[in-house]
Amino acid sequence: MDTNWLRKNTFHYSEFNDLNRLVDEKQRKNLAISLCLPTLNEEKTIAKEILILKSELMSRYPLLDEIVVVDSGSTDKTREIARSYGADVYQATDILPNLETFKGKGENLWKALYITKGDIIVYIDADIKNIHHRFAYALIGPLVLYENIKYSKAFYDRPIAIGKSKIRPTGGGRVTELVIRPLFSLFFPELTQILQPLSGEYAGYREIFEAIPFPIGYGIETSMLLDIYEKWGLDVMAQVDLDKRIHRNQDTKALGKMSFAILKTFINRKRKLGMVDYKDAIFSEMIQYNLVKNEYQPDIFNVRGHERPPMLDIPEYCNKFKRTN
Amino acid sequence: MDDYLEKLPEFVDIIRSIKDTIIANIVLIGQIPSPTFKEKNRTTVFMERLAEFQVDECSTDGYRNPIGIIRGTSESKPPIFVVAHLDTLFSKDVDHYYTIGKDTITGAGIMDNSVGVGVLVSLPEIFRQLNLRFESDIILAGVIQSLGKGNLRGIRHLLKTWSTPIRGAVCIESGELGRLSYYSEGMVRCEVECKISSTNGLEYKFKPNAILVINEVINQILQMRLPQKPRSRVIIGKTGGGVKHGIIAHEAKLGFEIQSTSDRMVKSIFNDIKDIIDGVGHEYEVEVRLKTISNVHAAKLKFNHPLVKSTVSVMKKLGLTPVSAPSESELSIFLSRKIPAVTLGITSGENHLQHNAKVDIEPMFRGIAQIAGVIMAIDSGVCDGHQLA
Repeated sequence: MDTNWLRKNTFHYSEFNDLNRLVDEKQRKNLAISLCLPTLNEEKTIAKEILILKSELMSRYPLLDEIVVVDSGSTDKTREIARSYGADVYQATDILPNLETFKGKGENLWKALYITKGDIIVYIDADIKNIHHRFAYALIGPLVLYENIKYSKAFYDRPIAIGKSKIRPTGGGRVTELVIRPLFSLFFPELTQILQPLSGEYAGYREIFEAIPFPIGYGIETSMLLDIYEKWGLDVMAQVDLDKRIHRNQDTKALGKMSFAILKTFINRKRKLGMVDYKDAIFSEMIQYNLVKNEYQPDIFNVRGHERPPMLDIPEYCNKFKRTN
Repeated sequence: MDDYLEKLPEFVDIIRSIKDTIIANIVLIGQIPSPTFKEKNRTTVFMERLAEFQVDECSTDGYRNPIGIIRGTSESKPPIFVVAHLDTLFSKDVDHYYTIGKDTITGAGIMDNSVGVGVLVSLPEIFRQLNLRFESDIILAGVIQSLGKGNLRGIRHLLKTWSTPIRGAVCIESGELGRLSYYSEGMVRCEVECKISSTNGLEYKFKPNAILVINEVINQILQMRLPQKPRSRVIIGKTGGGVKHGIIAHEAKLGFEIQSTSDRMVKSIFNDIKDIIDGVGHEYEVEVRLKTISNVHAAKLKFNHPLVKSTVSVMKKLGLTPVSAPSESELSIFLSRKIPAVTLGITSGENHLQHNAKVDIEPMFRGIAQIAGVIMAIDSGVCDGHQLA
């Protein structure tokens, strides 16, 4: 396997610390950059994310042109707080309301394409406790400084060799190491160079995002990688070490559901690519068991695997952005 | 003098307009753990932020206190110091990540002293927005090793090695807004430690309990007669010991402070407590040690000192009611070196020294305006010719 990509397209955030340079490049190329924060009950972290990113990358350095929150129907004060700190806040259901309604992170990211105006869109999860503006500028850096790079993805905790004999683990989470990496190793060994394929922070040019489908739920990160890889190859991608990310931990059961959704997305993609010839239908229910009053009872989680088509297939979008499809 | 007073109310709105930048500084610096003696990481970020905000010079002194300098227009006027301590009471294992609500910020150390430090770092930008230039150089110093066993080493070193006269100083604390400290009481901070041998020898017929020994020390301290004048007190602040409910404690500790408006009285009370401890140790046949970990001398500005009067005017102009309180922090070192200084609080809050400390955002803007006002007062010359005797 050629590991050139890992050497060439892997960066550390400190390589993009010169914010004036990024702003100059952005202005020279006449680019607009949008930041999207998908939310569902994030009242504890949303204000901090908006405030720091707005202060550092809008007020002090004009790198971002807008901060948009797309909310899945939070029942806490997420939307109210986000609005009070100056973000443009939307409920996902209010965007393209004539379409069937779905709920999930992928849905929010997809709909963000319709309401943002940037040539580059940065997606950052809204649950980061140690948010720092490097989470955005370091993803923007490769996109504005390198002509070939159209999509950049975060990884964390410096998961690279730090000396002759010292190797630190890749820092991938449990789902990455138990599900994604084995799958990539089996079917797309080149993609194993992406150290944390499930990281929730990525940025890219609109022309990339508008041309790929978006699964509604957990499968979004996996499908995005597979689709970009298939359409444009690995060379348009970069990964950036953002150092450390603190977020809330999920229990094993929740990770099981996530894994189910990812596997389903993966299998669907492979079918589409003609890489597997699997005749039977696959099921949509993840079945886990709980012990309730000495009886094992199934806990069924339905993953329908809905997927939004490429935004370029949506007439309203093409009208708004003057695209022809 | 009234010129700058008139500007203060409009300052509040201008400062509010850069709320995002100020809070970003508070959070980005405050979220970095900085227990006393381990302030290096916070110092680094403090310096980075100061450099970002384009102070004219940015460096550390020989003790690694980070310092930023905003050059003044006059080459002859001595500098004005603005300081905030960088260390906190919390270890690095404590979650330092803050939660920003609509009107509040919550988290460990926010009230002591993240708001103070964040505001200090924001001052270059605040001065720019307020269109303020000063005759004096403004020295923005984040001082290390201030709390507890730190014994104000950072500020002591900074002032001891500073080569020029100092025109005046403002010490910034997160809270409480309205606080006006212009005097320091004499203080000695001590720890008493009782250790009982855990060997199985025959030296004890009935093994003494270290907690009870400390308890006896406390009882005898409480029986001391302390004078009303000079006003004096002993504060029993910390205690701890033992390992298990059913086991006699082999170790116990007590932390206390002696405070008085008279240094001589502090010394006298200290000697009395030392006698108590020696006596208890002898009586129980155990080792009881007394250790001094910090001390400051009593010093004060008079209430009619021009700096105090100007500060009161600034606060009143902003609708604040000044509340006098002693301060045994950086202020005491300035005053003991005959440098006029005050300590001011930035905002209101709750759970001051706890993990879930919370500060109010809106009052902060008046708190910052008062800092700008007092610096303007010093720069206009209110301290000139009024150094302490």
